[in-house]
Amino acid sequence: MNSILSVLRNRRFRISTLAYLGIGGAVALTLGATLVGWFSFDRVGDVQSKVNDGSVPEMAASFGVAQFVGNLVAAAPRLASAATPEEFDRVSSEITRSYLLFEQELTSLEERTQQPIEHIRDSGDTLLANLEELEDGKAEYFELDQILSQLKADLAGVRTRLGDTLLPAIDDQLFYTLTGYRGLGAAPDPRAVYLSESEFSQYRYLSELQADANIATELLSNAFIVTDPNAIEPLRERFEAALGRVERNLVSLEGTQFHADIAPQFAQISELGLGGYGEFNVVERQLRLRVREQELLTSNRDIALQLVADVDVLVTTAEASAGAATDEASQAIFTARWLLLVIGGLSVVGALLIAWLFIGRILLSRIEKLSNWMRRMADGDLEARVEIGGQDEVADMAAALEVFRRHALEVQRLNLVEKLAEDLQEKNVELERVLVDLNRAQDQIVASQKLAALGELTAGVAHEIKNPLNFVKNFSEASEDLIEELSEVLSESGPTLSAEDQDLVKEISEDLAGNFERIRTHGARANRIVEDMLRMNRETGDRQSTDINLLVDEYAQLAFHSARANDTDFQLEIKQDLDSSIGIIDVIPQDLGRVFLNLVGNSCHATDEKRLEVGGDYAPTVWIKTARKEDVVEIRIRDNGPGIPDDMLDKIFNPFVTTKPTGKGTGLGLSICSDIVREHGGHIEVTSEPGEFTEMLVTLPLVAPALEQTEPPPEIQGLTAPA
Amino acid sequence: MLKTEFPALLAGGAAVLLMAVGLIGCGGGSGSGTPEPGDGTETVTPVSPAHSGEPGVSDDRILFGQSAAFEGPAAELGTNMRLGIRAAFAEANRAGGVHGRQIELVSFNDSYEPDAAIANTTRLINEDRVFALIGAVGTPTSRSATPIAREFGVPYIAPFTGAEFLRDDEWPNIVNVRASYYQETEEMVARLISDLGITRIGVMYQDDSYGRAGYRGVRQALERRNMSPVSVGLYPRNTLAVKTALLDLQKGSPEAVIQIGAYQPVAELILWARQTGMDAVFLNVSFVGSNALANELGPNGEGVYVTQVVPFPSDRSVPVVSKYMDALAAFEPSAVPGFVSLEGYLAGRLVVASLEKCGRDVRRSCMTEELANVGEFDIDGFKLKYGVGDNQGSDRVFLTVIGSDSRYHPIESLGDSVP
Repeated sequence: MNSILSVLRNRRFRISTLAYLGIGGAVALTLGATLVGWFSFDRVGDVQSKVNDGSVPEMAASFGVAQFVGNLVAAAPRLASAATPEEFDRVSSEITRSYLLFEQELTSLEERTQQPIEHIRDSGDTLLANLEELEDGKAEYFELDQILSQLKADLAGVRTRLGDTLLPAIDDQLFYTLTGYRGLGAAPDPRAVYLSESEFSQYRYLSELQADANIATELLSNAFIVTDPNAIEPLRERFEAALGRVERNLVSLEGTQFHADIAPQFAQISELGLGGYGEFNVVERQLRLRVREQELLTSNRDIALQLVADVDVLVTTAEASAGAATDEASQAIFTARWLLLVIGGLSVVGALLIAWLFIGRILLSRIEKLSNWMRRMADGDLEARVEIGGQDEVADMAAALEVFRRHALEVQRLNLVEKLAEDLQEKNVELERVLVDLNRAQDQIVASQKLAALGELTAGVAHEIKNPLNFVKNFSEASEDLIEELSEVLSESGPTLSAEDQDLVKEISEDLAGNFERIRTHGARANRIVEDMLRMNRETGDRQSTDINLLVDEYAQLAFHSARANDTDFQLEIKQDLDSSIGIIDVIPQDLGRVFLNLVGNSCHATDEKRLEVGGDYAPTVWIKTARKEDVVEIRIRDNGPGIPDDMLDKIFNPFVTTKPTGKGTGLGLSICSDIVREHGGHIEVTSEPGEFTEMLVTLPLVAPALEQTEPPPEIQGLTAPA
Repeated sequence: MLKTEFPALLAGGAAVLLMAVGLIGCGGGSGSGTPEPGDGTETVTPVSPAHSGEPGVSDDRILFGQSAAFEGPAAELGTNMRLGIRAAFAEANRAGGVHGRQIELVSFNDSYEPDAAIANTTRLINEDRVFALIGAVGTPTSRSATPIAREFGVPYIAPFTGAEFLRDDEWPNIVNVRASYYQETEEMVARLISDLGITRIGVMYQDDSYGRAGYRGVRQALERRNMSPVSVGLYPRNTLAVKTALLDLQKGSPEAVIQIGAYQPVAELILWARQTGMDAVFLNVSFVGSNALANELGPNGEGVYVTQVVPFPSDRSVPVVSKYMDALAAFEPSAVPGFVSLEGYLAGRLVVASLEKCGRDVRRSCMTEELANVGEFDIDGFKLKYGVGDNQGSDRVFLTVIGSDSRYHPIESLGDSVP
């Protein structure tokens, strides 16, 4: 086996050659199977046509003959038992039809069969002859039936008339013989007359006539119910005897009225019984017809049995030949089946061999090897050399793959260089971006440091100014006291001075007092400013869970009320639109509160200013709106005040920048607000349209970042008083 | 394809064979074509059973049928019976009918012949589909017709006969009005003995079931008194051959002869008896046909007694007779009141009364079986009583005699003198 395999492997046919060889084999096997099938069906077809053309029509004709024989046989008793001429005619026409069909079937059978069927035809003819005779007999039978019913009616009539005549006659004769009375209203005859021999004889004749009339009519009645034709003759004989006696008695009564009455009736009875169509003849004929009918029926039955047997033989023979043909067909089918089975088996074995030897051992294993190499190359292993023996298409593919591998190695190297260049480019771009960020951060740091330095400077300046201010205050107060004292002294020593001088002094001291008053007032103001500046250590509390809506509302109200406290004319409408979905966030409430206080306070101030300026219909209004946007909370505070000039917008968050008139604000409020919001991880934006509105937007993150520790708040920053 | 074709042909062949066998087997059975019952000519529109499914009853009428003699020797009986029934029906119909229905009568002649009675009865039941039969005349005809009526469950009302068998329990569908022959003959025997003191009694009867029924009645009445007929004469039905009977009767020298026969032979016998000097009292049962008998006898009828089962038909002092005379005059002004038409009138009145009791949803059973529960009808004073085992309404027997004026007169006892 291994030697064969190795030989096969070493032969190294081309795959196409092998595939064509395999397909050729399959085609050869299929052609073989087709030929076997064709020959087998051809044989079966031959047998089939033999059956179709021979056995089946023969059988069908035999069945047809059997059927119409059945019809003919069944018709005979129906014909015999037909009760009315109409029924009889119907059955008769059925018979004619059946016989014609029988003839047809028989002729058609004759053409198709080799079996002798002459005897069947003969039997059929006999059957038909019998049926025809039956028909004739039956027709006559019906005619006789009609005659008989007429006879019956006549008999009943004559019987009644005889009774009507005979009974009163005998009654009268007896009465006359015994009483002598002939009729009502007449006297009785003499005894010699009514007791004469002739009267007695007449009574006897009448009695005998009555008896024989009864006998004759009874015999006629009986004849109607006789069933045996041989029983008719004795009845006829007795009837003739009775009529003979009647004739004798009638002769004796000749000449009387009674004879004239009764003779025609007896003549009628005689005719009823013995006439050509008299009852006895008719009944006898009818009975004989019936006997013959029975004979014919019996004969028909016998013929029918014979026919059925004959047809049975026909059918059996036809069936046998059909059966033989069927066997032949079965045999042909059997052989074909086995041949096809063998061819099928060979095909399967061949297919298995091809699959196992060629595809499995030679083709698939090498293709798999090739595929493994390809997969390794795909995984990046381009080092291993592709080596597959043979001279077929697989070997060609392997050679091509080897070429491909070498090219791939080259390409790999080139790609590496290109990739390094790209990396370098990316790094450069990144570096530039970082540089920009760095510059920006640097600017921010510088700005912060500037602010911090400014804060320190401010604190230092404030501290240094504090002391001189104290001096100003103290000495101005002391000077005021001194002026008072001077006034007292002047009033005490007033008269020493001229009125003119007194007035002058008084005027000068009053001016001094006024000056000191101003110095004190403005000193106090300067002091307040400084104190504000020094209030640098803002209290920073801890973060607490806080309802922002509540907080905004609380400080807005606070701002409103403090504005109201300073100026009773103050007017403002606060419209709130608070989003309840904001919920609770962690903030430092005191700080954030300051932001809202400051912002609303600014609005109060701005709108009040506009009110004073515009007056009239102007309605000062502040809109406070909170909303949640994704992961932030927005708080908008908008007023319809005078707005902020464009050139100020960039600066308003810087310290010491204010739009308020001198002495009204320090310019630190918004700066502090900005710091606080930034500490919470949010930011403040401003939008404004001069003359129309100002809107401050505070944005806070829902989750606050850790408090910024990098940049401690500038010490100098303080809180401006709310405007 | 080829495989299936061959067995299919074999199956076809087998089917042909089966067919042949089937034809042989069935051939004898097919059609003589006997006509359905109910075919044939119709003289009266049959009442379709539109209402309550009961034959003869429609929304607006109820149909009754009568088979009786309207031709032949008994024609007068049938004709008068029909007259009386129709007078009663017309009287009810004039008053709006019974429960909104008109009562109608269809009659066929049977000439007193049993065969014809059978044919008529079958026809009335099956073709005319009458609700009930009424007013049949005669014993042999009734005897032939009643089994048919019983078979179809048709009420058989007021037959004009006193035969005892019609009063038997085995006839649930018969409703009698009149007293029986036994009651008539019993009355005769009792009266002969008590009123006239006569004990020698002969019997003359018609040789058929009617005559024999009367004869048995006389025999039983006599036997109850330890007596027997002194002589018996019989004559063949539908003949006048009565002289032999007369001779037989004379042998016993009867003082009275009870006659069970038809009016013509009876009259013939009486005339001959008178002619031959036989001095006997003749008594007849109601069935004889009273008026016809009087006519037949003429002046020789004086003293012939006839028992009746209805009141005297021109006696207006009896309320029902007064009603009858009015109804008769209204229905047929030329008609002369008579015993038979009065009996017919009573039969008609009984029908009207019982239909009224049965209500609108009338059933045949109501006319017969349930009559026993109804009990008593009072037809203007003429009482008819029924009960379990008693299908005869009246037990009353009335005496009449032919006077010298050849007319009938009601009497209280046999010796009463009449004009």
